[in-house]
Amino acid sequence: MTEAVVTINHLQKKFGKFQALKDVTLTVNAGEVFGFIGPNGAGKSTTIRTLLGILKKSGGEATIFGQDVWTDAVAIHKRLAYVPGDVYLWPNLSGGEVIDLFLKLNGQKHSPRTDELITKFKLDVTKKCRTYSKGNRQKVALIAAFSTAADLYIFDEPTSGLDPLMEEIFQQEVLALKDAGKSVLLSSHILSEVERMCDRIGIIRDGQIIETGSLADMRQLSRTQITVTTTQSAGALAALPAVHGFKQTDQHATFAVDSEALGEVMTALAPLGVKALQSTPPTLEDLFLRYYNQKEVGSNAQH
Amino acid sequence: MRNTKTAQTGLLLRLYLRRDWLKIGLWWLGLVGLMAGAAAKFDGLYGSQQAMASIITTLKTPAMVSLLGPFTANKPYTVADVYAAEMMVFMGLFVAMMNIYFGVHSSRADEDSGVSELIRAHAVGQHASLWASLLELILINGLAGVLEALGLQAAGMTGSNAAGNWLFGLGLAAFGLMFGLFTLLVAQISDSSRGATMLSYLVLGVLFIARMGTDVQNPDYTWWTIYGWIEKLDIYGQNNWLPVIYMLALTAVVAVITFVLSSRRDLGAGLLPQRKGRQFASRWLQGPLSLIARLERISTIVWLVALFILGATYGSIFGTAGDLVKTNPAMAQLIGAAATKTANQTLVLQFANKLALIFVVLATIPGLITLLRLNRDDSKGYFEQLHAKAISRLRLYLSFSAFGLIGAIVAFALGIYGMDVAGAAAMGHNAIDLTRFMRAFWGFTPALIVTFGITACLVGFLPRWQNIAWLIPAYGFFSLYLGSMLDLPKWALRLTPYGWVNAVPVHTINWGTAGWMTALGIVLIGLGYLGYRRRDLLTN
Repeated sequence: MTEAVVTINHLQKKFGKFQALKDVTLTVNAGEVFGFIGPNGAGKSTTIRTLLGILKKSGGEATIFGQDVWTDAVAIHKRLAYVPGDVYLWPNLSGGEVIDLFLKLNGQKHSPRTDELITKFKLDVTKKCRTYSKGNRQKVALIAAFSTAADLYIFDEPTSGLDPLMEEIFQQEVLALKDAGKSVLLSSHILSEVERMCDRIGIIRDGQIIETGSLADMRQLSRTQITVTTTQSAGALAALPAVHGFKQTDQHATFAVDSEALGEVMTALAPLGVKALQSTPPTLEDLFLRYYNQKEVGSNAQH
Repeated sequence: MRNTKTAQTGLLLRLYLRRDWLKIGLWWLGLVGLMAGAAAKFDGLYGSQQAMASIITTLKTPAMVSLLGPFTANKPYTVADVYAAEMMVFMGLFVAMMNIYFGVHSSRADEDSGVSELIRAHAVGQHASLWASLLELILINGLAGVLEALGLQAAGMTGSNAAGNWLFGLGLAAFGLMFGLFTLLVAQISDSSRGATMLSYLVLGVLFIARMGTDVQNPDYTWWTIYGWIEKLDIYGQNNWLPVIYMLALTAVVAVITFVLSSRRDLGAGLLPQRKGRQFASRWLQGPLSLIARLERISTIVWLVALFILGATYGSIFGTAGDLVKTNPAMAQLIGAAATKTANQTLVLQFANKLALIFVVLATIPGLITLLRLNRDDSKGYFEQLHAKAISRLRLYLSFSAFGLIGAIVAFALGIYGMDVAGAAAMGHNAIDLTRFMRAFWGFTPALIVTFGITACLVGFLPRWQNIAWLIPAYGFFSLYLGSMLDLPKWALRLTPYGWVNAVPVHTINWGTAGWMTALGIVLIGLGYLGYRRRDLLTN
């Protein structure tokens, strides 16, 4: 299962003098859900729009199914479904018309599956699009995408206007796609969503991919938060290079440890008479904050 | 807060003016430049007795009356009388268009984009934005009127006087404001800025056609057409201020109704009921071509029907227009019955040349709207998902340009056809063959294609500047409608493709010109695609 569906190599995109994408390199493999995360304005949507052939790259390479995203756009799009972050629909068409149109444009038809999704997402398809709220427009796009038989699904912050119930349905549907062996590229800010569904994630900041890998890999690269109660003073630990943000009140000490040096610190801790120890692996939020702010994650210790 | 309903009106007004100052300035420049520029030229044009006599004969023909309004001045005629007769109705059209533009721009358009919602969420009165729009219109029109009057003063045409100059300027101001208020009213009724613009132009069109009809039949009835009030100012003659009072009174009444309606409706919704949509797409809605047809369905039908009706309306006065015995009995007697028949037909054909120009410019409009949608819908985000479908840019581009171009050509043909049908009925045994009128169709259609091609290049290469395309029909209309009377130099008439066409249907079609113009237009459309293919699409 290591066949690459999306391959992006040193992709660059300039808008005039502004370099929106500096160096984007990532791979989405067949059958995996890839989480694409990063702060606002980091280049997520620009990357996705370049993948869709809406924007023309300034440098690097991008292929989907081994075909160039610019020259072979039509061939690629036959096997792809996409939901943008902000869905805008022609105000004078009804939701039902738009869904059917989107299916037909890919040579597909309104199917029982479409009806099932309409019921699931509780959408009144007879309303004109101008009367839809943001969440309802999002549903139109989601229903059209999920009922399209495709090999690759691209979602750009798809749940930003959905209520929690609908978000749950969205997650179920994505997991169902995953079970069916489809590939998914999911850009999102909802970390629980990414944590629950994604096999691997890529973090983008300022137009550069700064980290890709599985969540487990990334945790490895991050720090574990330790709260410990000892009989003797743990003050000496503060001097260890792998220990960050050390704080001590009486016998309680809290600090963050570089995950790879955990063993070493535990060895130093053992002779101090450990009465209680709590270790918290980094959450995605911690990873996020760490990568988003380029600064040192000294704040970790303040938890 | 003193009055909660109008709180922050002043602030909003300043915001609107800051946002629109450049557009307002350009409109002012156009209006005042047109009026003062023409006024400065008129002494040279109609200074001699001969020139004066000849233009007055022309202005009194039914054809010219239908286009420009009746010539009502009393002897001795002055240059200023001719100026007022030629410019009044025409300038009225321009200021009405300006007001429709700003009226929609500062009311409905903001609601569509959601800006109004943000504004209303602040400590801003319920009626503040409507008040601000109203005040903006008053300012735009009032100052435009003052500037126009000063321009006329500066031009110092023979026979003009301060009273007439100020009445001209302020009369136009009141007239414009009245249409501005019609637009604000319509903006409450319809549920989108597009709908509001269309409905406003419909009102303008109906009133204009009504004025035309009464002017040709019996100018006294023109009082009932509202549009005709502008003629009744009788500038440089009686200088009648009564119509200004009518205009302002009607403006006030419409304003009151507008405020009442505005407080009765929800923000972002219209008063016309929202119909339920289809549950499924029709079998027919399959791809980009049927999509654009579906999106433009209603407006396309409206344009086609409107052009046919306009054509028929003008055609219906061919009987009168082509009656030399009535309009110039001395001449008719001089040349005899047989020659009179030919002369009559020539008169009609000359009139048809001007009409064909009006039709072709009007028919260009829906075509350009469709073509410009390629970028407009992109920048609104409507197309984002479409681009992720198995639809090539070529197919999308071709669908839109083909639908726009064919729609425009059919609309033009219907205008000519309407003119022919009604013209034949009005002229009886003197009727002119459809093939003669079709010369105008074959002659002007290539110009339409070239205009379309230039626009396509703008769409492809300069998407952010694509609205410049509107200058072509606007200037083409102005230069050929009034150009001969203003004695514009030849190069100024040839700035737009419409000016490259010879005087069809009076003369035969110049197939050489038609051929290369059509080819040029098609090449330009192809070139536009090359630009569209290789660039980033606009995104929301």
